[in-house]
Amino acid sequence: MAQVLEVKIGYSPEKIRRRLEESGIRSLNSVVDVTNYVMREVGHPSHVFDFDLLSTRKMDIRQSRPGETLTTLDGKKYRLTGGDIVAVDDNGEIIDLLGVMGTANSVVQENTKRIIFFLDNNNPKFIRRSSMSLGIRTEAAIINEKGIDPELMKDAFKRGIKLFEEIAEGKVISDSIDIYPNKSKKGHVTVSEDKISSVIGIDINSEKSADILRKLGFEVKIKNGKLDTKVPTLRPDVTTEEDIIEEVARIFGYHKLPSIIPSFLTNKTGTFADRFYFEKKSKNFFKYLGFTEIYNYSLVSEDLFDGPVDRAIKLKNPLSEDMMYLRNSLVPSLLTSVDENKGHDEIKIFEMSGVYEKRQGDLPKEILMLAGVVKRHDVSFFEVKGIIEALTLDLGIKKINFNKRSKSPGSDIYIDGKFLGYIEVLDGETINFELNFEEILNYANNKKTYKKLAKYPPIFEDITFVLDTSVLTEDVINEILNKSFLIKNVTLKDRFSNSRTFHITYQAEDRSLSSKDVFEIHKKIVDSIGEKFAAKVK
Amino acid sequence: MENELINLKNNALSLILEAEDEKELEEIKLQFLGRSGKLTQAIRKLPKIDIEKRKELGVLANEVKETIEASVDEKKKQLKKGILMSKIRKIDVTNPGIKPQIGHLHLVTQAISEITSIFEKIGFVRVRYPEVEWDWYAFEALNFPKDHPARDDWETFFIDGASHKKYGPMLLTPHTSSGQIREMSNAVKSSVSGEISPIKMLNIAKCYRRQSDVSHTPMFHQFEGLAIDKNLSIVNLKGVLDYFVKSYFGEKRVSRIRPYHFEFTEPSFEVDVSCGVCNGQGCSLCKDGWLELGGAGMVHPNVLKNTGIDPDKFNGFAFGWGVERALMMKDGLEIDDLRLIYSNKLEFLEQF
Repeated sequence: MAQVLEVKIGYSPEKIRRRLEESGIRSLNSVVDVTNYVMREVGHPSHVFDFDLLSTRKMDIRQSRPGETLTTLDGKKYRLTGGDIVAVDDNGEIIDLLGVMGTANSVVQENTKRIIFFLDNNNPKFIRRSSMSLGIRTEAAIINEKGIDPELMKDAFKRGIKLFEEIAEGKVISDSIDIYPNKSKKGHVTVSEDKISSVIGIDINSEKSADILRKLGFEVKIKNGKLDTKVPTLRPDVTTEEDIIEEVARIFGYHKLPSIIPSFLTNKTGTFADRFYFEKKSKNFFKYLGFTEIYNYSLVSEDLFDGPVDRAIKLKNPLSEDMMYLRNSLVPSLLTSVDENKGHDEIKIFEMSGVYEKRQGDLPKEILMLAGVVKRHDVSFFEVKGIIEALTLDLGIKKINFNKRSKSPGSDIYIDGKFLGYIEVLDGETINFELNFEEILNYANNKKTYKKLAKYPPIFEDITFVLDTSVLTEDVINEILNKSFLIKNVTLKDRFSNSRTFHITYQAEDRSLSSKDVFEIHKKIVDSIGEKFAAKVK
Repeated sequence: MENELINLKNNALSLILEAEDEKELEEIKLQFLGRSGKLTQAIRKLPKIDIEKRKELGVLANEVKETIEASVDEKKKQLKKGILMSKIRKIDVTNPGIKPQIGHLHLVTQAISEITSIFEKIGFVRVRYPEVEWDWYAFEALNFPKDHPARDDWETFFIDGASHKKYGPMLLTPHTSSGQIREMSNAVKSSVSGEISPIKMLNIAKCYRRQSDVSHTPMFHQFEGLAIDKNLSIVNLKGVLDYFVKSYFGEKRVSRIRPYHFEFTEPSFEVDVSCGVCNGQGCSLCKDGWLELGGAGMVHPNVLKNTGIDPDKFNGFAFGWGVERALMMKDGLEIDDLRLIYSNKLEFLEQF
């Protein structure tokens, strides 16, 4: 709708100025204040042009074309990418960015004498797009992008004209124009008394509901326990039974409703030792070993992505280069966290979080990882290895294997022949590790096994071998264990340059072992290790 | 002779009992067992005794000797222990203890643990669903209109790549509500002749939104509750809200629901919790006595339909709140910049 008026610009009365300021709008002059005051009172934004600044008498409203430019009334220049709703004069010059902000070339100033009072109601999608892409977040744009009942426009228009007359010496000097192609319609919804009571949770009778709805402008007829309602155009949001129930409930008063926890249970079983149980257990394990937990962003820069980024899941609309890719390893971010805490002599940190693996034509695979870093001047590989061994043992996993890592100093870790993760020695004082927690979850358990307590005492023996450094301790231990079922346990007790001492436990279940028994096994061990690994007993 | 040996033993034992230090004990030992000690001298007389009695007395003499030696050793231990204990009695118990070094769980982990325990007690079962989602789960099935602002490039992160024919673009889920669709779709898949198992879901996960300032981080955590059964009501939703608010924030805190609008619930509510700093009186933190916790509502019939659940048979309620937000509201933990939570400064993390 639009109409031309003669006005005299001045200050608004105190009451209007104060009311505007208190609702968060700066009072400028009587004419601009009218548009804002109407927006507050009626809820429909409006606009004024300086009629004499317009060079032609025709206004074309259309979508903008890419490359068109405009200068908004606050003096900022914009280049449009197309698809904004603009008003254009006969010369093709943009004279308004509709629903968002007016332009400098038609702005009302102190010396303005004639104005066009102008109200428009556009598809909110376009307003949102223009406002966000140009970064112009005016109050009008924020209201318009949500969609407004066009039926409000008549009230806003009438109120505006009246206010111009009252506070800006306004005089109508043209006919009014009203172009209204898509009229709002009154909706129609029927809902039963039972449904209302059932969803709200207490009994509310039809009379009570109808009373509430009528006060909100609905037309209501009650028939056979059903409410037949006509929805006011002001409320295009009310289209379903649930919308009507919301109106009844909120006016009845949410605070008057009782609170009752629903007593039903799901049929899900076996949920005690689920993945969350083992996740929590593992986190606590690290906490009590002195590790502090870190949460890093899943979004990383190219530098923090492990490997070439063409394998990475990339954001289409990142906030910054630093948060462009979904990470595939927790370690690079953790090492950044180490750098950020330089002043500390010792740093022990860990993180449990997902990494993302690209898959063709499907959502990425999200894999929960557990990673950590230990930094201390005398940290050792075996300290970190020991932590991982203790963790898996605590999760009920009997055996994991460590193999020398070819990529970098450290070890690859396997479980049941499957890759579980790695320990990487970065330098003399920094060691990191990363484990696939999904794989751990496949094996973690709370199973208890009972071994009968031994009735007969064990015999212990230490044997020291001189061994070449290329011989793996694990191989020697396995060889010793193979020699007799009476050997209950073998551990590496000590190592010193080229010699290693093995601590052997002999025990029988049915008798006390004699020194003769032990001596025979001992001989077998010495012969076999000597032969297999070219070792000598020290 | 026999009496003599027994007397010697008794005599020695009573002396040992009264000895006050190690030196005295050594003297007693010498006095009885030394080269010219009383027992030694008695034993020297043995060869003169009748052969029948000699053997018996020999055994006795040996026993006496061993008893004296053992008693001396025992008394020595007692004395040592006594010295130690008298030293311990004098320690300054206000000196610092020798603490084992213990680490710290992240604030978010701690909050998630508490929230999970609270909901598990009333039968909610924790789940985890994808963070990288299809538009269908994050928006379309949740009844978001095509042109809803949350679906545009300024609010939600989209993944570079082709869209799914049926499920639309790939994105980082901006809320745990996508888990509602996953949960309900799963329930429908395993339903028997149109009857689904009732749902009480708790989905806690990382979410992503395209914003970063003092009160927003691009990555954050939400916890989402979903209950689906027959004849659930607003009264039931209020029951769960009140239960959570009192369990998590404390008995003194109260909750209220206010009318609001969300696409995927109808009616929709905003949930407020009374301010813990001023007890609802109004202060600089809360302004009018209430702090906003987040959204809730009765599941929209379109959402039920989209997952294949008959809205005439089943209904339910849902709520989704920020973990960080709940955390900050709990103890008036006034962290001035939310981004600090993800900054990984040990000075910060080690406070908790």
